[in-house]
Amino acid sequence: MRRITFLLLLFCFAAMTSIGGGYQVGLHSTKNTGMGLIGTSLTYDASSIFYNPGGVSFIKDKWSLSGGINLIMARVTFQGKDVNYQAHLIHELNTPFYLYASYKATNNLSLGIAVNTPYGNSLSWGDNWQGRFLIQNLSFQAITVQPTVSYKFKNIVGLGFGLVWAYGNVKLNKALPIDYTGGEGQLNIQGSTIGFGFNAGLMIHPVKGLNIGIDYRSKINMDVQNANATFTVPAAVRSQFPDSKVEVALPLPANLDFGVSYEINEKFLIGINLCYVFWKQYDSLVFNFKTKTPSLGRTAMPALYQNRLIPRIGLQYKVNQIVTVRIGGYYDPSPVQTDYLNPQTPSSNEIGLTAGLSVYPFKGFSIDAAFLYLMGTKRDGTYSPENFAGTYSSVFYIPAIGLSYSF
Amino acid sequence: MKKLLFIILSLALFTSCERKINEYAADKGSANFTTYISVGNSLVAGYADGALYHDGQLYSCPNLISGQLQLAGGGAFVQPMVNSNIGVAVYPGVRPKFVLGYKADCQGIVGLSPVLAQGDMDPFAPVGYAVNNLGIPGAKSFHLIVPGYATMNPYYTRFASSMTGAVVGEFANLHPTFFTMQLGDNDVLAYALAGGSYDSITPIPIFYYAMKTVLGTLLATGASGVMANIPDVTSIPFFTTIPYNGLVIPRQSLADSVNMAMEHFYHLPFHYIAGPNPFLIRDMSASPPFYVRQMQPGELVLMTVPQDSLKCKGMGIIDVNTHLPYPIPGEYVLTTAEVTQIKGATSIFNAIIDTMAANRHIGLVNMNSRLKELNSQSGIVWDGVHMNTTFVTGGAFSLDGIHLTPRGNALSANFFIDAINQRFGSKIPYVDITKYKGVVFP
Repeated sequence: MRRITFLLLLFCFAAMTSIGGGYQVGLHSTKNTGMGLIGTSLTYDASSIFYNPGGVSFIKDKWSLSGGINLIMARVTFQGKDVNYQAHLIHELNTPFYLYASYKATNNLSLGIAVNTPYGNSLSWGDNWQGRFLIQNLSFQAITVQPTVSYKFKNIVGLGFGLVWAYGNVKLNKALPIDYTGGEGQLNIQGSTIGFGFNAGLMIHPVKGLNIGIDYRSKINMDVQNANATFTVPAAVRSQFPDSKVEVALPLPANLDFGVSYEINEKFLIGINLCYVFWKQYDSLVFNFKTKTPSLGRTAMPALYQNRLIPRIGLQYKVNQIVTVRIGGYYDPSPVQTDYLNPQTPSSNEIGLTAGLSVYPFKGFSIDAAFLYLMGTKRDGTYSPENFAGTYSSVFYIPAIGLSYSF
Repeated sequence: MKKLLFIILSLALFTSCERKINEYAADKGSANFTTYISVGNSLVAGYADGALYHDGQLYSCPNLISGQLQLAGGGAFVQPMVNSNIGVAVYPGVRPKFVLGYKADCQGIVGLSPVLAQGDMDPFAPVGYAVNNLGIPGAKSFHLIVPGYATMNPYYTRFASSMTGAVVGEFANLHPTFFTMQLGDNDVLAYALAGGSYDSITPIPIFYYAMKTVLGTLLATGASGVMANIPDVTSIPFFTTIPYNGLVIPRQSLADSVNMAMEHFYHLPFHYIAGPNPFLIRDMSASPPFYVRQMQPGELVLMTVPQDSLKCKGMGIIDVNTHLPYPIPGEYVLTTAEVTQIKGATSIFNAIIDTMAANRHIGLVNMNSRLKELNSQSGIVWDGVHMNTTFVTGGAFSLDGIHLTPRGNALSANFFIDAINQRFGSKIPYVDITKYKGVVFP
């Protein structure tokens, strides 16, 4: 029976790493995922390196290690506007992950390193769908490595700073409306790059049980200088569409997070987070082909994202020394304007509901599980530069699993 | 742990794993699409690439419309099908369709060009069955009311029910409940295609009387429908592909010698420079003995102009053999006066069509403004497909520069569907334009 359930589940699920309003992934620690994705004011373990470097120095143990993986399963349906046409996102599985390690060098100074996947967007609509001249499939992923130092003053204020090194790769396919006997044109772009940013946080611990955190993660420019553009076109127009190097620039937006959490008693912990995402930094997706022809040059696909504030809340209940359970929820308003809703990132306002559980078989070690259910609202929109209109309806199921060990 | 995973996954299953969106619900509104007929000229017949051929008919605008109407109670749509995919030999010497191919020009330069397709055309023969698509290539408005038109136009002979009757006589026998009509284009286009030389614009009273009779006969069957007005035919690629100043002189020294010849030998006041220059054309109102002048901006060269003569024989400037001024003959040119006449007649015809449609509660497809949009800088974009009136690359016009590609027909069908939905409150879904090809490259 279990096996059947599991198989059924795999069967009806597809996947996409982009579960935020845009192409940001909020899944950085299974404990936090269970708590409505809050984290700025929490110091569960070394995951604070990402959520708030200021909190790392508050970790009590000499060493803290944490790692985990998420399974993003998405189901997105598209109904074209005023046509009898529907398409479904092709089933794929994506697995954002995280790995953290912190070390308490002195009582007040801690060092740490994070490896995780804060941004990404991977989806496939198939080669022959109605929107293929906008996108067939897209895979974009950024992996960041963040060495961090954190220092606390008198157990009240913690400050932390991390340098972020990001590796990003992008791969996309789209069809071109150039017909030839037996087919139509095709463009494939592939490339990778590195970018830099920083993560700075402040943690305040004014009275027992209360934590206040502020964290700023900078924008990272992902400027792929020399991606490879490969065209499949009829020989007759080959000279117009030569294979070329292409520059693709995509900004990973900055985040300003504010969080407060309070331990009501031994058992209960409640926390809220306000996350402001500087999505406006994503103005357009620019492709600058290095080999210029009358048909090939610099093209910009306007995105015109809007800055957004995401409120999140989480509640934790310690059942006993071994079991802790969590629930949470958040509202992630889409940064995409209705006139610029693109099948590349079919984003809608989303309500996320989470549940989580940690089991501590022995002191310092936890097995964490969480589940995030994202109810995407049905959304009508048009990508007006390409006059592509329709309704997108999405739903996401994201189980996560992780391990932590502190000693 | 396993138990936990099981609980979580089961939970996920309880919530439906797929978010449903209702399918598009087509609705006929106040219309009745049971028996749909299409009335008009080559634009509705499925004529494309300079010929009437099988696939062109499959992608004819009314056939695409019919496919959508069938989602709201529409019946079968019968066309007078040609079996050959290159054409039908309606009269001796008729050409097969054009395909895009490679051709060496008079200078030996091999380039992409429309070339005649190879293969066998259908022999001319009546199809022997009644059809819903009454599109007749070459038909002008008044041709539809002429008795015995089947003896004059072999495209009509193919499906005419009588050799002596008129096209309007077909309507009642077909018992239509719904019609689309695209008629009147040839009343200006035929004159334009002849360079204003061997044809004439239909006189307004005749146009008025013909349209009135055709519509009256159609409505008398009890059918309702929509009709298109006439686009500005001078903006189609047949007239816009070769620029008025397409005479390119590569060097100043060459321009100088042309200037010398024009001035000293022929006493013609034309001045040439290196780069693009206006072509020389025949104009009987110009001064003797040559009766030539340079083209003006806004004047149009027809796509049928002998291009090898332009490139290698000095047509449009000075004959390479005789060294005499060598104008483009008037039949390949629309002068300012002719363009003005065409545009003037088009707007009068459209005023008549608009009024008749309004008075008779016939939905109107404003093809005139739609072609303007297609002809604009930005063209028309639909589902990521950018279309405009540019020859070949514009995607909408076929290789004859006059008729539409399958993609262009899909676009046109959607214009009709807009008008149908507006007039009858129906919900007919659009044709998926991305399924239809533009010009096919070799």
